[in-house]
Amino acid sequence: MPQTDDPPLPDIARLCLSAGRQMLETGANGRTVHEGIADIARALGCDGAEVLCQHQAILVTLRRGPESCIEMTKTGEHGVNLRQTQAIRQIIRDLLAKKLDCPAAQSAADCVPTCTGAYPPWLVCLATGLACAAFGELLGADWAAFLPILAASAGGQWLRMILMRRGHNVFVVAGIISFLSAFVAGLGARLCGSTQDPIATIAAVLLLVPGVAVLNSQVDVLEGKPNLAAARSLRVLYLLTFMALGLVLAQALILPHL
Amino acid sequence: MNISLQFLFHQAFLGGVAAAGFAVLFNCRPQMLPACFGAGVLALATRTIAQELGGSLAVASFAAALVLAIADKIWQEFPSPRGSVLAVVGVIPMVPGSLAAKVFISLFAFLLSGQSQSIEAAIATWDNLVMLVFTLAAIGTGLALPSLIPTKPAEER
Repeated sequence: MPQTDDPPLPDIARLCLSAGRQMLETGANGRTVHEGIADIARALGCDGAEVLCQHQAILVTLRRGPESCIEMTKTGEHGVNLRQTQAIRQIIRDLLAKKLDCPAAQSAADCVPTCTGAYPPWLVCLATGLACAAFGELLGADWAAFLPILAASAGGQWLRMILMRRGHNVFVVAGIISFLSAFVAGLGARLCGSTQDPIATIAAVLLLVPGVAVLNSQVDVLEGKPNLAAARSLRVLYLLTFMALGLVLAQALILPHL
Repeated sequence: MNISLQFLFHQAFLGGVAAAGFAVLFNCRPQMLPACFGAGVLALATRTIAQELGGSLAVASFAAALVLAIADKIWQEFPSPRGSVLAVVGVIPMVPGSLAAKVFISLFAFLLSGQSQSIEAAIATWDNLVMLVFTLAAIGTGLALPSLIPTKPAEER
C-alpha cells in the first residue's frame, strides 16, 4: 500500500519522463535511460517500472501496490551535451540518497537545460577546429594544411550553431556545412602550399560525423534495444550521405583532377 | 615490434588533442578535460601499438576501445555521476569518419563511372565499406563489452 508521504504516481511518471527525455536528447544510450528511470521509480517508492525507449518517444509504466500509471513523452532532436547528462544523473543519485524529494527533483530537472553551464561559442568553435586539424594530421596531412583545416572547421561549427539555433533541418545543415568547410579547407591548404589538399577537405568535415550516435547505436543493439539502434543507424546513414554530398561537390570544384 | 617512439607520441598526442576538442564540443565539465585528453592518448597509443604488432584497423580499434572501456569501468567503481563519458570521448578519435567519407565518395564515383571503370569503383567501394563496418562494430563491441559483464552479484546491483 502507498505510504501517506509517497508522491502521486503521475508526478513520479512526469519526473521519470523529464529525466529520460533529457538524457536521450543529450547523448545517453538506451541502457542509461532505462536505468535512470528505474532508479527514480525505486527511489520514490514504486514497486516496478517498465520503460519503452524509442528514438522519438519514451513510454513508462509505474506500479505501486494496486495503483498503476502509464505516461508517454515525445523527444526532440538528439544531440550531445554530456554536462546535462551528468546533471540529470546527479539528480537521480540525490533522489536515491534521499537528499531530494519528488517536487525538488522535478524543479531541478526542469532547470537543467537553462542552469547547466556551457563553454563560450568561440571556445567551442576553436576546440572543434583543433580536433579536426588533429584528425587531419592523424590521416596523414602535412603541417601546411593544419591552419586551413582549423579555420574551415571552426567556421563550419560556428555556422552550424547558428543554423541549428534557427531550427533548420539537421541533414540540410550537414550538407551545407560539409560543402563550405571542405571548400575552404581544400582551397586554404593549396594556398598554404600543402600537397595534401584532398585529406584537408575530408578532415574539415569530420566535425559532422555523429560519433556518439554511432557508438550508442552499437551499444543499444548489443544490449537488446534493436529498434532504438535501427533508428539511430538510419539517421547516421542519412547524415553521412548529406555530409558526403557536400564533400564531393566541394572536391569536384577545387580538386577536379581527383 | 618495430615502432618509432616519435610516431607513437605523434599519434597519441594528436588523439588526445582530438578527444579534448570533442570533449569541449560535447560540453564536458572543464575539470574533466585533462582526463579526456588522457583517454584520447590511451586509445590512440593502444591502437597504434596494436597496428604495429600486425593487427588490422578493426582489430587494433577493438583492442583500444576495450582497454579504454576497462580503464573507465575500473574508475567508475568510485561513486561518480560521470558515467562512461571518458570512454565515449576517448574512442571518438577512432571513429573512422574519413573512411565513411571515402565509402560515400567511392559510391558516388561508382554511380558516375562508365561501364569500363565500374568494376574497379565497385571493388573500392566494397573494400572501404567492409573495413568501415568491421571497424565500427569492433569499436562498439570493445566499448560495450565491459558493461555486459557483471562485476557484482545480481542482488547487489
